[in-house]
Amino acid sequence: MSVEQILQPYCYAALVTIIAISLYGIVRGASLTKKLIALTIFGDTANALMIYVGYRFGEEVFAPVMPTFEPSPSEIAWFVSTAVDPVPQCLVITAIVINMAITMFLAFLIIQAYRLYGTVSVKKIAKLRG
Amino acid sequence: MSGRDVVIGIAAALLLLTIMVVVLSGGTACTPSTEIRRLAEFYLKHCINLYNKTWWTSSPAAVTSMLWDYRGIDTYYETSVFFLAIIGGVALFRVVEVKLGAGGREEKKELGLSLIVKTSTRIVFLLILIVAVSVALHGHVNPGGGFQAGSVLAVGPLLFMAAFSRRFLEDRLKLDRAKCVALLTIGLILIVLVIASPLVVGGALMQNQPKYWLPKSPWGYLTHVGPLELSGTLFFLDVAEFLVVSFGFTLLFIIVSIPEKEFRRLLGL
Repeated sequence: MSVEQILQPYCYAALVTIIAISLYGIVRGASLTKKLIALTIFGDTANALMIYVGYRFGEEVFAPVMPTFEPSPSEIAWFVSTAVDPVPQCLVITAIVINMAITMFLAFLIIQAYRLYGTVSVKKIAKLRG
Repeated sequence: MSGRDVVIGIAAALLLLTIMVVVLSGGTACTPSTEIRRLAEFYLKHCINLYNKTWWTSSPAAVTSMLWDYRGIDTYYETSVFFLAIIGGVALFRVVEVKLGAGGREEKKELGLSLIVKTSTRIVFLLILIVAVSVALHGHVNPGGGFQAGSVLAVGPLLFMAAFSRRFLEDRLKLDRAKCVALLTIGLILIVLVIASPLVVGGALMQNQPKYWLPKSPWGYLTHVGPLELSGTLFFLDVAEFLVVSFGFTLLFIIVSIPEKEFRRLLGL
């Protein structure tokens, strides 16, 4: 058992703790800006967790990119036995870009709310009338 | 500390515990080990398999071939989400018809950071441009692709806005909102064209390489032109996605940098 495998539960614990803390931030953040920051932390940690789930332990581990254009059957077998899981990477690529676009959109909404109401505090906005 | 705080604290702790238990008891099907999932093995085995071309994509980069060939519809919908987020931002700021330079004398002066910063920004922008284009054009043979390259390139205009001004971007580089929207739309149209083109010759939607098990589709995109690897549709889709993402983000950065004063005047606040 390698060092990485022994440390594996601690990695999970760290990532899941960050997710829980950021969820708490989303729920209990005092201002919209802080909620947005917590949301970005949540998204990034979820991505990191996803990539981590797709990792593979072993003597040699490579990125899922075939080093040649005309692989022989033995090279394909070697590729399958050494490359990390490409599925989470594929999901994360799009997730990062979408995350950023959604973050920008929410930032726009918060800026607009600040311009209209003069505050980003959740409690003050909830008390507004008219 | 009110009762509500206690409840939320307990709920967060419970959530943390639940996720931990689920993950550690194998809820993610296969937590990191020396083996990978069967699905991933399929993708790795078939992405550039010259001996069994039934499922191949002719691209050595497994991630790109999954992104646009095996899971193309998923990526297409994510591009739509991205587009809708941008359209949402543009719609929120539609009231602003900013003609910069019309804002009085003090805005006409070239401000911005010091000469050192400006010069180094110019040099760095050139490097960003080269890296972004290289990442986009090599997306089907190397790690990289349209999404990544677009995110890289979008940093360039942001740097210009920080070091020079928004006016520099619009007047000197001629990169204003209308142009960004146009280039973004061109990228989206390109994606649709590449996706729909196999229908013309009797193939399937989003088809890349010939699929012999389909009733009528002996046709597929070129795998390479001379020494140049194309990997079928992947190359074109990467370039189109590069346009969409880079100019989408540039558009958002331009919108978010509209001066506060201008906004308050327009909204009548």
